[in-house]
Amino acid sequence: MASSIRKKNFKQNNWMGYFFIGPWLLAFLAFTLLPMAASLYFAFNDYSSLDSLDKARWIGLQNFERMFFNDNKYWKSVGATLYYVIFAIPLRLTMALGLAMLLNTGRNGVSFYRAAFYAPSIVGGSIAVAVMWRQVFGTEGLFNAAIRLLGLPTRTWLGDPDYAIWTLIALAVWQFGSPMLIFLAGLKQIPTEFYEAASIDGANGVRKFISITLPLLSPVIFFNLIMQMISGLMVFTQAFIITGGAPLDTTLFYALYIYRRAFENFQMGYASAMAWVLLIIIAVFATIVFKTSNQWVYYESKEE
Amino acid sequence: MLAPKSKLSRRKFLQAAAITGGSALLAACAPAATPAPAKPAEPAKPAAPAAPAGGKATELRMAWWGSQDRHDRTIKVIDLYMKKNPNVKITYEFAGFADHLTKMTTQAAGNQLPDIMQQDYAWIAEWAGRGLIIPLDNFASSGALNFKDVSEDFLKGGRVGGKLVAVNLGSNSQCFSCDQGDFEKTGLALPKDDWTWDDFEKTSMTIKEKAGKWAVHGLYGEQLWKSLYLSLGEWSYATDGTAIGYKDDAPFVNYLKMLLRLQKANAIPSRSEDLASFDGKSVEQQPLAVGKAAMDSHWSNQVVAVQKAAGDSRTIKMVPLPRPAGGKSSNYIKPSQFFSVTRDSKAPEEAAKFIDFFTNDIEANDILFAERGVPIAGKVREAMIPKLGKAQKEMFDYVARVSKIAEPIRPADPPGHADLVKNVFNPQVIDAVMFEKAKPEDAAALLRKEVNAVLAKNKK
Repeated sequence: MASSIRKKNFKQNNWMGYFFIGPWLLAFLAFTLLPMAASLYFAFNDYSSLDSLDKARWIGLQNFERMFFNDNKYWKSVGATLYYVIFAIPLRLTMALGLAMLLNTGRNGVSFYRAAFYAPSIVGGSIAVAVMWRQVFGTEGLFNAAIRLLGLPTRTWLGDPDYAIWTLIALAVWQFGSPMLIFLAGLKQIPTEFYEAASIDGANGVRKFISITLPLLSPVIFFNLIMQMISGLMVFTQAFIITGGAPLDTTLFYALYIYRRAFENFQMGYASAMAWVLLIIIAVFATIVFKTSNQWVYYESKEE
Repeated sequence: MLAPKSKLSRRKFLQAAAITGGSALLAACAPAATPAPAKPAEPAKPAAPAAPAGGKATELRMAWWGSQDRHDRTIKVIDLYMKKNPNVKITYEFAGFADHLTKMTTQAAGNQLPDIMQQDYAWIAEWAGRGLIIPLDNFASSGALNFKDVSEDFLKGGRVGGKLVAVNLGSNSQCFSCDQGDFEKTGLALPKDDWTWDDFEKTSMTIKEKAGKWAVHGLYGEQLWKSLYLSLGEWSYATDGTAIGYKDDAPFVNYLKMLLRLQKANAIPSRSEDLASFDGKSVEQQPLAVGKAAMDSHWSNQVVAVQKAAGDSRTIKMVPLPRPAGGKSSNYIKPSQFFSVTRDSKAPEEAAKFIDFFTNDIEANDILFAERGVPIAGKVREAMIPKLGKAQKEMFDYVARVSKIAEPIRPADPPGHADLVKNVFNPQVIDAVMFEKAKPEDAAALLRKEVNAVLAKNKK
């Protein structure tokens, strides 16, 4: 008797569970899983987004062949994206860690600064900030005005093949808020006794940072590195609005090139193939970081 | 004890959910059931009483891109048409240029295209080739579309493979717009209609020296590359759209070399400056309009906006594109945009009738007021001329002047054109040359190779 009630109850519980996750599940199936499956299929097809679905033509691996051997712009976009990730992500994390440590000192007004520093990250991915960035680095923009005040030579930053990508990197570094908050949470977990003991032993600030902060924070650094790397490889909005890939394709990031092929050149099959290769690239990068993590990530609990 | 209680509350919850959900649904349906529906269908209201006698109203959907000004004018014409034709109900959607294209491509994939859609010369070959827009020749011969008052020159741009797939909404031609004041100040006469590229370079250098501003803006676009070969009796693309259309790279190489000289003399905004400050900006924000340059490369209908931005104290005059010494005109008369009837239309004849109204009705064109370029119907033009303002008059005069010397329009851009411009012409030719990463000869050779590679896919 009791068991049958429990069983019925259990079934009902399931039913209620499905009811509650239903909307999410439906949206996930319709707007994530289905498009993903479709794009996997398109990746092996010659399919123009102007045509109806039945016009897709199976071409095997030809999209991939074209990508790797016959499209020099593809490799340019890979190069630009890696350049961006290699410079923007370490700089952003350094900035985030530095400010998190400043905010962790318990001075007055810390919560105000924490919110103030976080603000750029909330608005950072938005169109509005990208448009503003265009103004700041424009020929008559704020940045050139500041440089002129210092008596340095001005440049057309956004149009210069050597510097345009750095305006995007600067924007990325400015958006350090979310890793900063995570670092801050990590820093608060480190027991102050360690620092006190180190001080008694005569360690200076640098020594404490290297021997206590970095090892104990390494799981958080690891997490931030993975998350930032993934978002870095997918960078789109900033380049789309600020530079549009120009000049000389130096800011033609991978995601922007996918967009251009899919929605401006209507080569949905080719773009889908590129998107799946990006997924593999991200997976490879993440795996490398994971594999090397046991060399440098220190988990306290493991030692026990 | 626990179980029944929670069961009960769950049942209650479900009932509550069903009731609220259901009533929300009812609420959502309610406005649609009432006779006065939401915004897009509103104009149909006055038409409703007349409809029952004649049976069902034909429904047409229409889509276009443009500025707010264009939306307002177009909607007024739709209302006027529905007032005159109570049996037709037109709903519409409009957007900016890029969004319009995205929307239309999505609807094409879903077999949901509107009856009438605005088209650009750059896409009609591709859309017609894929059967997305239908030939209108039958309607032209049946009289649903009346072109008795329209010269073939104006219609030609809408023909793909000999079939009329798109109706021109206004005529345009390229020009260099000149600030008359700057020419007077530097003691130069306005260029003649048959000036050459040599004249152009000399004029530009003189303006730079004497007026101390940029001589000209807008030389980096692919339109001038095409026009350069037009004046030599060729075109950028072969007539069948499967290969490059010219034999000799030299004219283009010379053009690139001229750009380098002008850039060095600071007579034009450098490529870097252009990308940083003017690329993608509206004409009102570009150098001529803001007084930073004496000339700018435009389409004739853009001059109205430029003159407005420049203000009454300045006068903008239009001259045709320069030509090579001994060459023909570099100009052609281009349809600024079109209306097409799509594959998904259930009432193509009614759609054609509306396009006819848009083209030939004088009252409708008084509302549209040549915002899409010079009207193609002769009577409409005549009726409009006395009402024109300064800039519009300049535009009408210019298009009339140019039609006499213009070369015939070449076939619409082949599929792959947008790909070539964005992926090859801008970054690998213009950028590479202007940033001195490639020699003009090598860049022109690369362009030839890439054009041939991309267009080879159009071979049947």
